[in-house]
Amino acid sequence: MLYFDHAATTPVHPKVIKKMDEVSKLDYGNPSSIYSSGRAAKSIIEQARNEIAKMIDAKPSEIYFTGSGTESNNIVIWSLLHQQNKHVITSAIEHPAVLKVLDELSIFGISYDILPVDSTGLVNPADLESAIRKDTALISIMYVNNEVGTIQNIEDLIGVAQSHSILFHSDCVQAVGKLPISTKSIDADYMSFSAHKFYGPKGIGFLYKKSGAHLKPLIIGGGQESNVRAGTENISGIAGLGIAAQLVNTNLNNRIEHLSELENYFKNSLIEHSPEIIFHGNSTKHVPGLCSIALPNHNNEIILAKLDRKGIEISNGSACSSGTVGISPILNAMGVDDKINQSTIRVSFGRGNTIEDVSLLIGALSEFSHA
Amino acid sequence: MPEPIIVGISGGVDSSVTALILKKQGFEVECVFMKNWEGESDQCTSEEDYKDALAVCNSIDIPIRSTNFSNEYWETVFRNFIDEYSKGRTPNPDVLCNKEVKFKAFLNYATDIGGAKIATGHYARIEQHNDAFRLLKGADPSKDQSYFLYLLDQKMLSKSLFPIGGISKKEVRKIAKESGLLNYAKKDSTGICFIGEQRFFKDFLKKYIPTNPGVIKSIDGETCGEHDGLMYYTMGQRKGLGIGGGYGDNTAAWFVTEKDFDNNILIVAQGGDHPSLYHQNLSADSLHWISGEPPKNQEKLSAKIRYRQNDQDCQVISIDEDRCTVKFSSPQFAITPGQSIVFYDGETCLGGAIINDRS
Repeated sequence: MLYFDHAATTPVHPKVIKKMDEVSKLDYGNPSSIYSSGRAAKSIIEQARNEIAKMIDAKPSEIYFTGSGTESNNIVIWSLLHQQNKHVITSAIEHPAVLKVLDELSIFGISYDILPVDSTGLVNPADLESAIRKDTALISIMYVNNEVGTIQNIEDLIGVAQSHSILFHSDCVQAVGKLPISTKSIDADYMSFSAHKFYGPKGIGFLYKKSGAHLKPLIIGGGQESNVRAGTENISGIAGLGIAAQLVNTNLNNRIEHLSELENYFKNSLIEHSPEIIFHGNSTKHVPGLCSIALPNHNNEIILAKLDRKGIEISNGSACSSGTVGISPILNAMGVDDKINQSTIRVSFGRGNTIEDVSLLIGALSEFSHA
Repeated sequence: MPEPIIVGISGGVDSSVTALILKKQGFEVECVFMKNWEGESDQCTSEEDYKDALAVCNSIDIPIRSTNFSNEYWETVFRNFIDEYSKGRTPNPDVLCNKEVKFKAFLNYATDIGGAKIATGHYARIEQHNDAFRLLKGADPSKDQSYFLYLLDQKMLSKSLFPIGGISKKEVRKIAKESGLLNYAKKDSTGICFIGEQRFFKDFLKKYIPTNPGVIKSIDGETCGEHDGLMYYTMGQRKGLGIGGGYGDNTAAWFVTEKDFDNNILIVAQGGDHPSLYHQNLSADSLHWISGEPPKNQEKLSAKIRYRQNDQDCQVISIDEDRCTVKFSSPQFAITPGQSIVFYDGETCLGGAIINDRS
């Protein structure tokens, strides 16, 4: 099987599995308990927190473990219900874990505006500036888009938010392991992350909250995670996430280099085979290894099914719960017409992929190269 | 790798056993789950059905994929459905769904992904004589679904398999149970797929067609109630008229016998044997013959004017392009415009047409 859908999820790294296995076997203590096994569990959590803080150049006290990137987004948005101002500005290419939350919470008084993006997926800071209202409480714009890989001019957008003293949240789920992240340069108030996008386990994520930024918990109970997220901690998940972060800390440059190499080889061979191919996204502000491409005159459902039969796994970027694919709202927002939209596939490489794998993919895609 | 048979799987027991039988027969089998309706309505059980389909495919080790034909369904089936109801007729969307979605969009999709043929869980049979394909009734008379398949053509039949057409529903459930399929006892789906139970029907239609209330009159011209709009009623309907039986000395039930569109009046008659409810002749259009040709002997045919009706002797009196007139040997209860008349020669389903009028 050839797996090229690392933007959907990544295979768990063997070192992560090993650590989780050990922790599951040995460290059953409740981190809130004062005796030895509880303290041991607590220290595992704090070790992981340190690695994560290092990964995004933040303070450990600014890291809060959650169940997923989705939950991290939810905490930040739901927290607005405790505030007087409830207007939110977001972008047209956000994940449903932001857009649907805003939509659902409109019955509780949240209102929101959606900023357009240009044909490469970038939000114009001037649009943000003019969308700001007196009652704007939060701006939520993702750092790296999951379907096309566009890296947002996040510093500029944060600059606009700060000039109006408005809180800024960014869904950074797709960014980890593909570019360096530092809260020193990305001065957001909140950032959401998920372990399984960088070879960690599923079911664990974290939220970065800048020291002093306001936040109310969504899940309330025993006061874990400094009262931000109650519930006995998922120790093995957190330990696995910690190792995944450690691996980013030690290998980031190699990973970027590897992904870039695969991507360049893929793109160059593809253009050679099929000059009619269209690349979506931004040619420079773009994470390595994630390619959104249209094969004109071919339906992506057919392409996906045929590749699946050959044991090649790619996606079109927007699978829904009953497993069907459809028109991508993200490409739609970028002005891609419906026909090209439905001809679009997403290929996202990962650490296990080799040049040989990519050349097999090119071979399989050559069937769709001519109209 | 041999070209696979692509099974349209719904999550129900019929299509699950279809896949199972083909797999046991040694075919390369792949399943496709079709999502034909987009909607958040509680009636839409698509996700639950998909889970069942997934579980079945996992347990018999067949790959499954999903596809979405809701655009095609909306454009070809649903628009027609609304159009027909707004004209006060009673359409049969399943007939069109088979022609336009399952045996067109799905068949094209299956061919595009490299499938040799498609298979569905319909209770009907296909028989090949040289290059000609005939559609036969399902072997289980209580489940025969050939009525819904009369719009298929030779090309569609040549590319299709109905593996459970030769066995009974009871047998299908038995196979499912013996093979450990979790849905062996799953309830049969009834009613129109995108509406669900009959009790949601009126509310559903209201969302798409404005209501136009009027009066109900008896066949003798006496006003005996009010209706919510002619589209909500169908010929021969007895329930939901809101008029009791106690009209005059006669306590028999009331039946819808006519719709007066010019004056927006629903006309009812008392007693299921009232002569105004019976007609011996009908005219129909959109005539289609499965073989591509009208049958040679048009005098001694039989037909159903609704699903689950016993075959009625009839003859095709005239054919003018895609229109025809039909005379039955005996008067028929509640011939309903918009429903299909489907012709049979014994076990063979010949084709059919959509009823326009009766006399």
